[in-house]
Amino acid sequence: MSNPLIDIRGLEKAYRTRSEWRLPSWFRRLLRRKSDTANHDRIYALNGVSLSIEQGETLCVVGETGCGKSTLARVLMGLEKPSSGELYFSGSRIDQLTDQARMPFRKKMQMVFQNPYASLNPRMTIYQILNEAIGLHHPDFSRQQTDDYIEELLVSVGLSVDAEDRYPHEFSGGQRQRISIARALSVEPELIVADEPLSALDVSVQAQVLNLMMDKQQALGLTYIFITHDLAVVEHFATRVAVMYLGRICEVASRESLFSAPKHPYTKALLSSIPRLDDLSVEPIHLTGEVPTPLEKPMGCTFCGRCPLANQRCYEQIPVMQLQQDGSAVACHAVEEGRPWK
Amino acid sequence: MSLLSVNHLNVVFRQRHQDLQALFDVSFSVSRGERLAIVGESGAGKSILGYSLVNLLSKPGVIDSGSVKFDGRELTTLTARQWQEIRGKKIAMIFQDPMITLNPVLSVGDQMVEAIRSHTRINYNDAKKLAIEKLAHVRISSPAQRFEQYPHELSGGMRQRVIIAIVLLLRPEIIIADEPTTALDVTIQAGILQLLKQVCEDNGVALILITHDFGVVSRIAERTIVMYAGRIVEQGPTLEIINDPQHPYTQGLLNALPQMALPGQRLNQIQGNMPALNNHPSGCAFHPRCPYATDKCRENTPGFVFSGVSTVACFAIEDMLAEFDPEGGWQGEVEDE
Repeated sequence: MSNPLIDIRGLEKAYRTRSEWRLPSWFRRLLRRKSDTANHDRIYALNGVSLSIEQGETLCVVGETGCGKSTLARVLMGLEKPSSGELYFSGSRIDQLTDQARMPFRKKMQMVFQNPYASLNPRMTIYQILNEAIGLHHPDFSRQQTDDYIEELLVSVGLSVDAEDRYPHEFSGGQRQRISIARALSVEPELIVADEPLSALDVSVQAQVLNLMMDKQQALGLTYIFITHDLAVVEHFATRVAVMYLGRICEVASRESLFSAPKHPYTKALLSSIPRLDDLSVEPIHLTGEVPTPLEKPMGCTFCGRCPLANQRCYEQIPVMQLQQDGSAVACHAVEEGRPWK
Repeated sequence: MSLLSVNHLNVVFRQRHQDLQALFDVSFSVSRGERLAIVGESGAGKSILGYSLVNLLSKPGVIDSGSVKFDGRELTTLTARQWQEIRGKKIAMIFQDPMITLNPVLSVGDQMVEAIRSHTRINYNDAKKLAIEKLAHVRISSPAQRFEQYPHELSGGMRQRVIIAIVLLLRPEIIIADEPTTALDVTIQAGILQLLKQVCEDNGVALILITHDFGVVSRIAERTIVMYAGRIVEQGPTLEIINDPQHPYTQGLLNALPQMALPGQRLNQIQGNMPALNNHPSGCAFHPRCPYATDKCRENTPGFVFSGVSTVACFAIEDMLAEFDPEGGWQGEVEDE
């Protein structure tokens, strides 16, 4: 059996918050009186995430603000070290490698960031930006080869050749995102992790960038991990979808089964709240309450406080991923027991 | 008679070398209790329009000509002192980011009481009672405790609810909401939109919702205005515009949405970008991106015609209508899309 391209096993990431001992004692007393959360010194951003991604697929990771989807991308790319868990790329373990040993893998996975105004160095020309990546991963290229390659890259993402001597501020948001994509493609990666690449762009420009990404996938056989909160984009673009809630994955399913038959109560609520144009009759399921803080490692299911189907078991026992009949996997006691949706 | 009517409004940003025009000849009206949406991409001038209605344009921007009438009273010539009677009390505004709108060093209650007491003579305890009542009205749980809390202790959705409560305190007749849910998550957004719609219905308040999201528009507004590069290009009933957009830009905008293409297929993109203020195209501003553009579009600015569905500023529609003879039906060839 062939290995999946990326295999994530039980990934956890906790961030240390500023320890209390640095603060003066009077302030510490004040904090303690003000709230009881001051004793916690860790934020649990990822609580045991397991996922595998096959070659050539587009996996969309969706979830609300603070659910850990960006952290997942950063840990995957090696921008953050995981607290525990294992990370495999085509069968070889990569989470414990040194920076030096990880270099060949960095060439195979690239990232496109959310804000194209912050991810390009304002003091470098487009040529320098692209050349930096090419110089690291293709040190054998001659000057002429590099020039040709950069021109080819710019044309392939729909920019003109004379763009290479200009600076990022001379481009619009959509064009900058094209430059970010060109930079990611410059090292011929197998996997591109895109963290909300469309959210800073207007609707008509979003369509342009999304089309470019789909064209590139077809031409180069890329694998995408696409992180977004926009379910309309997911429905269009994904082959498989992972829904995250507060550091855990609650449902993984193919696009068809997720949108036609969502199973997890959170997925149901999320899908019903997208404002749709084609069907105005769908009434949103209103969730009560807000996303709890990640300061405490939850005892049971992370969603139990807002879930309309929660019972005592949900508060006490962490649900595990279970395979459903249509091939999707859901972590929910209510689905497992077949509790009826009211 | 309409509650708010805007006529031929031109807004200009005065620069040393040239004047940059942000709004061109904008006219529309809102009647009592109506919910109107203004849709457009960034740079379309929709927020500038919102700000000029409440006289909050910042310095280089001025209203060059045109009038804004509220309940028969001209607003563009009012002094700052006269504005204080209108802004907040008659016309209220909700901004995009609830954290920036609320004062971080005042408790929620203090801000609410301050808002009431600056417009009405009322003692603290009565004001507090009113404030807690309004907090309950926007469905905030345990309002008496929230009254004492500070903005940083509340979540984004809760803060936007507090702002809606503050706005409602003075019983305004129009609420202008500038992208009220853009900073919020979808599950929270659904709740806030429903709340906004409900409070407007309950109190007979008119709403002007400024947004870029047609999905949001379809949930809340009865009538929609589409803006492009400082001009209104199409206005009409929301459902008609969404189901049968007339202006090529509206069509392009709706077609670019991912829901409009089959999964995995290429999206229908509009080529190019919104023009910058200093680079405004001649004639119809949309002609460089328009698939139907002719020489007429490059030279002249289209006026409004009623297409049978909505009011549109487009020569292509105008020409099509000119060929239509109400007696004998279509004179020209019927084109398939």
